[in-house]
Amino acid sequence: MDAISRIKQIGMPRRNNELWTFFPVAKIPMPEFPETCNDTADYSDEEDFAALLPIAFNARTMRQDIADGANEMAMLKCNNDFGHTVLDIGKNATASLEILDNKVAHKICAERFDIHVGENATVHIFFANPADGVPLRFRHFRIVQEAGSKVYFSEIERGSGIKRTSLDAFLKGNGARLEIRSLNVLQDSDSVHHRITIRHEAPETESVQFARNLLNGKSNASYNGSVVVGANCSKVFSSQLVNTILLSEDSSVSVKPVLKIYHDDVECTHGNTCGELDAEQLFYLTSRGIPVEKARELLTQAFAKELFMPMPDSPAKERLEQVVSKL
Amino acid sequence: MLSIKDLKASIEDGTQILKGINLEVKAGEVHAIMGPNGSGKSTLSKVIAGHPAYHVDGGSVTLDGKDLLQMEINERANSGLFISTQYPTEIPGVNNVEFLKMALNSKRAFLGLPEIGEAEFKKLIDEKMELLEMDERYRDRGVNEGYSGGEKKRNEILQMAILDPKVSLLDETDSGLDIDALRIVAGGINHIMGPDKAVILVTHYQRLLDYIKPDFVHVLRHGKIILSGGPELALELEEKGYDWIEEK
Repeated sequence: MDAISRIKQIGMPRRNNELWTFFPVAKIPMPEFPETCNDTADYSDEEDFAALLPIAFNARTMRQDIADGANEMAMLKCNNDFGHTVLDIGKNATASLEILDNKVAHKICAERFDIHVGENATVHIFFANPADGVPLRFRHFRIVQEAGSKVYFSEIERGSGIKRTSLDAFLKGNGARLEIRSLNVLQDSDSVHHRITIRHEAPETESVQFARNLLNGKSNASYNGSVVVGANCSKVFSSQLVNTILLSEDSSVSVKPVLKIYHDDVECTHGNTCGELDAEQLFYLTSRGIPVEKARELLTQAFAKELFMPMPDSPAKERLEQVVSKL
Repeated sequence: MLSIKDLKASIEDGTQILKGINLEVKAGEVHAIMGPNGSGKSTLSKVIAGHPAYHVDGGSVTLDGKDLLQMEINERANSGLFISTQYPTEIPGVNNVEFLKMALNSKRAFLGLPEIGEAEFKKLIDEKMELLEMDERYRDRGVNEGYSGGEKKRNEILQMAILDPKVSLLDETDSGLDIDALRIVAGGINHIMGPDKAVILVTHYQRLLDYIKPDFVHVLRHGKIILSGGPELALELEEKGYDWIEEK
């Protein structure tokens, strides 16, 4: 079944679809699909409308293979409303991939990334540019990881508009590890949504989801994170933590953790905190002479900085910290 | 220098903690405030600093004639007030040295001075860290982040040394310090202290006063200073406790 047929089958996103629970679905314009879908692959298993959209609109596919053992840095940029990137990272390769924002999109922009990560490869995937001017942006990732591979997926979301990042990860090989770090710095009516599903399909696989939100104005963020641990997957580790600081009365956050665990010998945690800036920390800084506005700035920056601190030293970490220092 | 007159303050539920504190502190003086748990000692320093959890019900606090209670928290600090609370707050993600530099520059801006230069600041912090026998770990960590109780207290005195306040109110600076650390911290306080400055020590124990000699010792109980005396009063309190004062 091609992507257009599949979209017609599942219908437009609705709030009663658990993949879209918190998303303002009424803001999605009814698409006018082309007559034919050039990609004839079978998408009958794909559940997420946003994953199908670029394929249905015949997005140009950019393919990039990174050879076994290679060490590469690349910047990926979509120059059309719809984009499709296919990456194959070879065994033992190291890759650092920065996704730049689409500056030419009109009403809607949808990108899809299919990434296969070979054995023992290490990949940093990150984006940190503000995406002003795009009313609606979908970014979908499908990541398949082989044994011993490591993927660091990191992002900073800022800027106006409605954005949704969806990610389906398949940890297929023993010892594969995925770390997701998401920072949302939102204001006005900014709206950012995450729908993450991580499938642990092999023993000793590990996943970390760590999201932090700094929400001002009337902004809102949501995090819908699922972890599925398969029946034969012992010694799996999974953690999910979402911390939010509400900087205004009108900002809001919604968080939904879903854990489906089919093995006993695993460690899976989830947590969610939501509050204001710490009054004692604010007092401490101001009691040393720092003006209150500067103290608030310091604390919000520290909150953001902490998210990326545990990352291994890398160009990605450097870039993310550079962006945070200018928040 | 610091003048506290009939200071009354309460917490959010209306319970009055300070019930009329009077204290005059002149330049060059060291005062010690002692008292049983719950007497209002920690509240006193927080109220003077402007902690938002407390409401001032009456009285006045002036520093060199300026009304501290009318000032914002940072303005009180920049006017020359330094308070060290019993449990210094941890602030992960805010680098200790960067924080110190920002605090110092905030004070300099308040006083109409330019920002301190890199070299001058490095020299200053190196000198003060050496005085307090602090190792390099203090530079890279977040403010008080993961510090032991003693390390936090030492870091407080480092801040005091950098900010060079007129009046320092140190709440249980001796708690959590081993004998060597107590000697070093007390030595630091004595070094910072001068004829144009004043220190108020809040403590439970005589041992801190063996290192920092107070000119006056006050007993705070039920939100009021009920007895004042010379250094000998601390020794008497150590020996007899507090009950005899009320009996008296």
